[in-house]
Amino acid sequence: MRLSTIGGAGRLIATCVWVLVAGLGAAHAAEPSLPDFIKSQGVLKVGVKCDYPPSGFLDEKGKFAGIEVEMARRIAEIAFGSPDKAELQCVTSEARIPTLNAKKVDLIIATLGIYPERQKVIDFTTPYCWGASGVIQLKSGAAKSLADFKGKTISVLKGASQAVWLEKNMPEVQTLRLNTVAEALQAMRQGRADGYAGDTSVLFPILSANKDLAILPEQEVFDVAFIGAGLRKNEPEWKAWLDAQLGKLRDEKFYSKVVPTVVSDVMVRDETIKFYESDAPKK
Amino acid sequence: MIDGFDWAYLYDTLPALLRGLRTTLIVSVIAILLSLAIGAIGAVMRLSGRPFLVWPARGYVAFIRNTPLLVQLFFIFYGLPVIGVRLSAFWSGVVCLSIWGGCYHLESFRAGYVGVSQGTRDAARALGLKAWQYALLVALPIALRTAVPSMANTSIAMLKNSSYLQAIGLAELTFVAIDRNSLEFRTIELFAAICIFYLVLVLAMSAGATKLESYLQRPFLAR
Repeated sequence: MRLSTIGGAGRLIATCVWVLVAGLGAAHAAEPSLPDFIKSQGVLKVGVKCDYPPSGFLDEKGKFAGIEVEMARRIAEIAFGSPDKAELQCVTSEARIPTLNAKKVDLIIATLGIYPERQKVIDFTTPYCWGASGVIQLKSGAAKSLADFKGKTISVLKGASQAVWLEKNMPEVQTLRLNTVAEALQAMRQGRADGYAGDTSVLFPILSANKDLAILPEQEVFDVAFIGAGLRKNEPEWKAWLDAQLGKLRDEKFYSKVVPTVVSDVMVRDETIKFYESDAPKK
Repeated sequence: MIDGFDWAYLYDTLPALLRGLRTTLIVSVIAILLSLAIGAIGAVMRLSGRPFLVWPARGYVAFIRNTPLLVQLFFIFYGLPVIGVRLSAFWSGVVCLSIWGGCYHLESFRAGYVGVSQGTRDAARALGLKAWQYALLVALPIALRTAVPSMANTSIAMLKNSSYLQAIGLAELTFVAIDRNSLEFRTIELFAAICIFYLVLVLAMSAGATKLESYLQRPFLAR
């Protein structure tokens, strides 16, 4: 009311300010907002992997580290102003979805492939990463292609997408299903399995750390898949907000910055950034 | 009933669970038999009074009782191949459970034997029985009466502990539930089902043990 007494110029400025504020407000409304149930918690509870470098692992001090861990921290920073507001919890492959659905965490960023069996029980954000499955074997191994594993044994993780894919598409392959990557590799080294099938994003770091292992040729990758963050069903507001943030992370080349902090090997680093910031091959 | 409990799913999964149950039973039965043999031999060593027999038996019991079963299992499955002994998941499981159960059986046997009263021993000697006659014909039957309840207990624990074998990829009952759950996410259905399977098995074993106890309690002539 006081503005109107100042005169014409004042009124003009007031109008401009009003238009500007309203305009910002409208822009703000178009941007999804953080749902109340997350806001009221004051922290972001995220399930991440603890044995899956470089995605999620424990560093030499036993602290959470990895690309997905940094994603969780960055999202917590966007939501609550500090990366420390991410409350992280270790989840294994088999425990990921039960942990989410038991409401122990509100989000899982844990190399979770998007596929229909899972979409029945949880929702996914838009993919933040793509990948394919591949098989590694000892350098002394005889296989030249995936087909060479017919009648042989491949170790996989319980609950991993490779277990399902092999069962459906190559029933002649025996699978040895174990709980951790370390166990699966050990089983292969001890001749209990002829190969280890996993996500290529995980296989490359394994290869650079284990000089006795080799991956099958690139055209032998199978089951191209997309990885998204998992959230419980029927939380559309939460999904919209997360989708917006994940888009932002890709636009700001977040992964080009984060990946080199956890991946020292140049070959692995470039392969890894590709999975996050390029589009998947059309196959 | 629990909201959303899917009976149809359970029905579809039953064949897989039953295959798991079969593996659980086979592993457990072989392991229990082997563990009884280990326990018996170990008890004889432990009671022999000869240091070169007593000390290995004592060391074995101390080692197995004071380390976690899962650690022992990983040691057998992943550790032994380093020294050239590569057992399959099945036999790693059998060996691990037998060694674990054997040490408890050993202690049960020993406790039963030591519990036979000095008076009985004196009486046997007074009747002119030789040491082996006393041990086999007098002490053993009495010792078994004391030992059977705790041996049954150990055997039941072995059956339940066979669920640890899922960790080395042996497709026993718990493995089937965990594997299925990680693909199909029917946590309540699967774990409720295997709980009931285990419960029924253990109740059956308990009933068997009770029967055996009452049989052993009867005097010889009434048997």
